[in-house]
Amino acid sequence: MTYVGLRPGSAAYGRSRRLGTLLLVVPLAYTMLPLVYLLIASTKTQSDLFETFGFAFGHSNALWQNIRTVFTFQDGIFGRWLLNTALYSGVSAVGATALCSAAGYAFSRYRFRGRGVLFAIVLGAVMIPQTALTIPIFLLLSKVGMVDTPLAVILPSLVFPLGVYLMRVYVDQAVPADLLDAARLDGAGEFRVFATIAFPLITPAAVTVLLLSFVATWNNYFLPLVMLSTPSLYPATVGLASWYSTASAGGGSQALFPLVMTGSLVAILPVLLAFLGLQRFWRGGLASGGVK
Amino acid sequence: MKKIHRRSLLAASAFAALAPRARAAEPVTLTVWSWLPNLQVELDMCTAANPGLKFQLTNAGQAGPEYAKLRTALKAGTGAPDIVQLELDMVRSFAQVRGLADLAQLGMADMSAQYVPYTWQEVTEGRRINALPWDSGPMGQIYREDIAKAHGFEPPRTWDEFADAAKALRKTSPDTYLTNATFSDGGWVTGLLWQAGWRPFQVDGDHLTIRIKSDATQRFAAYWQKLIDARAVDTSAGFTTDWYQSLARGRYAIWLTAAWGPVFLSQFAQSSAGKWRAALLPQWNAAAPSNGNYGGSALAITATSQHKQEAATAIRWLLGQSAPARAFASKQFLFPVLDSLLKDQSFLDTPYPFFGGQAANQVFAKASSQVGTDFQWSPFNDYFVAQIGNECGAVASSGGSLEGAFDTLQARVVRFARQQGFTVAT
Repeated sequence: MTYVGLRPGSAAYGRSRRLGTLLLVVPLAYTMLPLVYLLIASTKTQSDLFETFGFAFGHSNALWQNIRTVFTFQDGIFGRWLLNTALYSGVSAVGATALCSAAGYAFSRYRFRGRGVLFAIVLGAVMIPQTALTIPIFLLLSKVGMVDTPLAVILPSLVFPLGVYLMRVYVDQAVPADLLDAARLDGAGEFRVFATIAFPLITPAAVTVLLLSFVATWNNYFLPLVMLSTPSLYPATVGLASWYSTASAGGGSQALFPLVMTGSLVAILPVLLAFLGLQRFWRGGLASGGVK
Repeated sequence: MKKIHRRSLLAASAFAALAPRARAAEPVTLTVWSWLPNLQVELDMCTAANPGLKFQLTNAGQAGPEYAKLRTALKAGTGAPDIVQLELDMVRSFAQVRGLADLAQLGMADMSAQYVPYTWQEVTEGRRINALPWDSGPMGQIYREDIAKAHGFEPPRTWDEFADAAKALRKTSPDTYLTNATFSDGGWVTGLLWQAGWRPFQVDGDHLTIRIKSDATQRFAAYWQKLIDARAVDTSAGFTTDWYQSLARGRYAIWLTAAWGPVFLSQFAQSSAGKWRAALLPQWNAAAPSNGNYGGSALAITATSQHKQEAATAIRWLLGQSAPARAFASKQFLFPVLDSLLKDQSFLDTPYPFFGGQAANQVFAKASSQVGTDFQWSPFNDYFVAQIGNECGAVASSGGSLEGAFDTLQARVVRFARQQGFTVAT
């Protein structure tokens, strides 16, 4: 095997590596600094939060106290909000992945009338931010009496045009037509061909779609804000925002700012875990594409 | 007080006769959207006094997020609450899109005499009553007495004294500013201009007279331009982490704020508790004192509510009776809008440890009585206030002319109002 690029150990290689590292430090700082700030802020009392430097620790470590308060304030409603978020994101992610896989597979492997137009519509829909659709969706759902129910958040989150596009492109590459024909010759029905032959081949892409859709629903604020009015149905985003508005409305005796900080930290931990747990599948997908 | 009570009883019994029979049998649950902390306390008091009324309370966020949600629900015709908290300056905007019930038709015309006149003006249009005032924000200054003493100045009584103190402080103390002027906050700019006699809008249905550029803005712009150019005041954005820290650490000696400022400040400036004092806003003309309002809110009943009569009974009780009004003032520190409470000795004499034992309510009660009563808000006020913040904030952060900012605003808001279908005179 010969290296086409620069040889490791050569001076030029070292220089370009250092340059590359330097260039990567900027986006690293950009993504990590807010997290570091959040982590440090979560350990502070309210007065430390406002009276000590943001990237330095305060006079005392209040992290455990803050976490306890987060889960006990207002009768422990934060735990409920986290469960709601998990439910909405979990159901939405699994549902969206199933829909995207099936749709992407159909676009890739079937020839049917209107396929081009439909796919163009899907691509066009990628360009429309969900925020812009929230108000029309509210009007539709209020007609069928579904506003202020979990379905009002879950149903719109099942629709994920970018996922359909990703799955179609991936199926194009990863599922050989011959394999499907062989399965059909052996007598498998169309659904079985999709579910047992095609789907295992496209798992890496499905995991990507699952993660993207999971994170999108986890972080969604405007849709649940508009749809839900019962505090016990709130996801963590809307709940934390309501705490924040209470804090900045002058809670007087209550020290709510550390609660918002610590609640935010707790709320992003599951997403971090999901990424760490699922990145194995994700990397597997990238690598297998590389070998081909 | 007694007379009013009897009248409201009469009104209530008249409604009871009109309302369907079912009302007496089972309690009505009213939905309420508000961002006030611990509002449930007063709602429970209301239920205790009116057993037929129960409440479901939602915190849909402060101002912006709640308004987005409310607009959507009003458009859909369902999903809006019965009772909603609005900032005083946004009441007219929601009435303009026919989102609010007319409280005059729900028997509230007799409430007018109970409220501070300028707050009543903010929630009414002619005979129409769009909401009941809840709390207000007459402006004042709160200052660090220790810093003032160390640098030998008194809280300035006029804007001239204020400017002199600002320049003098920069010379003696490079780490401290007399104040931070938050020009990117349109509400703050409006409050100060209100004091200077600014009356940008005269509204008559779909006819608008817009005079954003006026003698008041000219005087205001010339005054602050000098301070900005001399770097005699800081011009950072307000309500950011930096700003909180600067106030807490004594980088600013004076905060030009409203009656809600003291309690707000005491939350995050605990280490300087006891060193703060409240004083009246500096004056343009000390012989003829005037003031403006910054913040405050109201409760309205939505046009889509299915229980308008019951909601009227509820807000009439919550915002008209002295027991809940006292609770709002002493527990949630809402600055009162009821005349009777503003003249109440025990309210006025309450000492505040944060202010070194000063009876700060006296200062702001006086401030409240000096606010000009004929101020009118635009019917598209979130747009308007955001534009002020953008234009004035840009001057403060990246240079330019404040006077030019008001020229731009005049032209832009007139164009916007015409696009919205208003007939505009200037």
